[in-house]
Amino acid sequence: MSAKLKKYIPIAAIYIVLGIAVVIALFPIFYTLMASGKSSQDILANPHNIIPEKFVFDNYVQAWNLANFQQYTWNSVYMSFFIVAGTIVTSTVAGYVFDRGKFRGKEIIFALVISSMFVSLGSLTLYPTVMIAKVFGLNKSLVGVIIIRVFALDVSGLFISRGFINTLPRELDESAKIDGCSFFRIFVSIIFPISKPLIATIGILQFRASWNDYMLPLVFTLANKSRQPLVVGVVNLKTNGMTATNWSVMLAGTAISIMPMILVFIAFNKYFIDGLTSGAIKG
Amino acid sequence: MSLFTSKKHPEPFFRRDQTQAVLMLLPMLVGFLLFTYVPIIYILRFCMYSYDGILPGKFTGIDNFVRIFQRDKAFWEACMNTLVLGGKIILEIPLAMLFAVFLHKGLKGMAFFRVSLFLPTIISTAIVGLIFSLMFASFNGVINTILTNAGLIEKPVDWLGKKWSALMVLELASVWCYVGINMVFFLMALQSVPQELYECAALDGCTGFKRFFRITLPMIIPIFRLVLLNSIIGSLKINDIVLASTNGQPAGKTEVVMTYIFKFFFGYSTRRVEVGYASAMSVVVAVFLGLITLIYIKASKGMTVD
Repeated sequence: MSAKLKKYIPIAAIYIVLGIAVVIALFPIFYTLMASGKSSQDILANPHNIIPEKFVFDNYVQAWNLANFQQYTWNSVYMSFFIVAGTIVTSTVAGYVFDRGKFRGKEIIFALVISSMFVSLGSLTLYPTVMIAKVFGLNKSLVGVIIIRVFALDVSGLFISRGFINTLPRELDESAKIDGCSFFRIFVSIIFPISKPLIATIGILQFRASWNDYMLPLVFTLANKSRQPLVVGVVNLKTNGMTATNWSVMLAGTAISIMPMILVFIAFNKYFIDGLTSGAIKG
Repeated sequence: MSLFTSKKHPEPFFRRDQTQAVLMLLPMLVGFLLFTYVPIIYILRFCMYSYDGILPGKFTGIDNFVRIFQRDKAFWEACMNTLVLGGKIILEIPLAMLFAVFLHKGLKGMAFFRVSLFLPTIISTAIVGLIFSLMFASFNGVINTILTNAGLIEKPVDWLGKKWSALMVLELASVWCYVGINMVFFLMALQSVPQELYECAALDGCTGFKRFFRITLPMIIPIFRLVLLNSIIGSLKINDIVLASTNGQPAGKTEVVMTYIFKFFFGYSTRRVEVGYASAMSVVVAVFLGLITLIYIKASKGMTVD
């Protein structure tokens, strides 16, 4: 075997392995998009084709008009918007206070917040959460979900913002303090405006989390289906029983629910990947 | 106000800043305590009650726990299923590591592979469950179509209709979901290993597999430990994928702990609401999760190579 060939075989093997992995990673998404464009005649005539004869938007129109997807999309949009906007404020404020603030008990409170990572019980605490929201009359709409997501301090978001604000030079605060700026004022007019990369990261992470959220919006809209966001609405179609007609609608609904996420990801994939890793590892 | 005054800094400016810091944090602190710790207290309180969410609860002592340990076979089956599904990390972690090592080689086009392999991570886990259940559906499912086209099967397989094949589909869906993020964690770890170390190793004739196990792996062990812990605990909390695909079917045989308990809390899928009993099961599961974490932290200490 020539030396050149010996050098290229491992490289070719790497490309082949990664190539197969990419096909597997992308296939379910590709399939969903393709199948959502199949007309019902096409499904019957060519059940063995994955790619439709002709991509039609009938299923989308049907999902949009008849299966309430217009409402679901709107619910998703407004829920995500308020969660993103709200958490940008609460995460940066919390990060700022925990990094720059000086008050007694700060370390203890911080330890209490961190330790919540180890006592998080996933979906086991959903019921009590709803009961607490009920006390405030917030248990029957997405407003409750928004309040919880914005104010319940997401630990990884807190880590990211505390870490970022820690890298900002302290001379900025000092000079502002000499000019008579208060702690709050320094945040509003200096720290927050120069934290644009942080705001972008938190915004994207929260968009992903809120747009994709299933359990919390599910339990807050059990009594009122018209308030469901997209993910809950689509999955609900399935739990109501699979029939031939709602099969296509379900696929179109799935496509509607993943499309915005994929577009945002393609545009900002660097922020996504960096943000998700920094939050989990440094945290 | 004594909490906010400090003897070392008596000047009013400092006191004002302290008060502002506390006030700025207060809304989040209240939200945090209310929605993180109060639910746990709630569960601890009701685990000794018989309570259906409507009528006043009745104190029943340890009855709920007796029922879990002596009469509720379905709970233990759900626990077993959870462990079986957790077994997916045997596939997931090595795959993620393999992809990371490949991507780290800096060959042409790696940015494309990295982004593509990461893509599944951004899709809602519930939607992943839904997509996989559509793909593996017995009638009209694309997997059966492909296998039939390839001549591998003659009639459609009912993947989700039998316990073990359904668990396998769930396992695949879960690996598909999480390989990308673990890959990126490992890739980040690999990039933090100093290049000189490899150069020295090359001088000593240490390459390939030997280099990976002797140099790379020991260097990234701290991150590896963390990623593995996250994967183990995360896989035991599997919920959305199951709820959105099999929903415990056939006949509750693919139920996992989280979905099983969820249904008792909310009366979901025609189950009767039993808040007290669900709380008791939550306590048992919380203790298990805590024990597993502790054992892991103890056991994985041996993973550090000096």
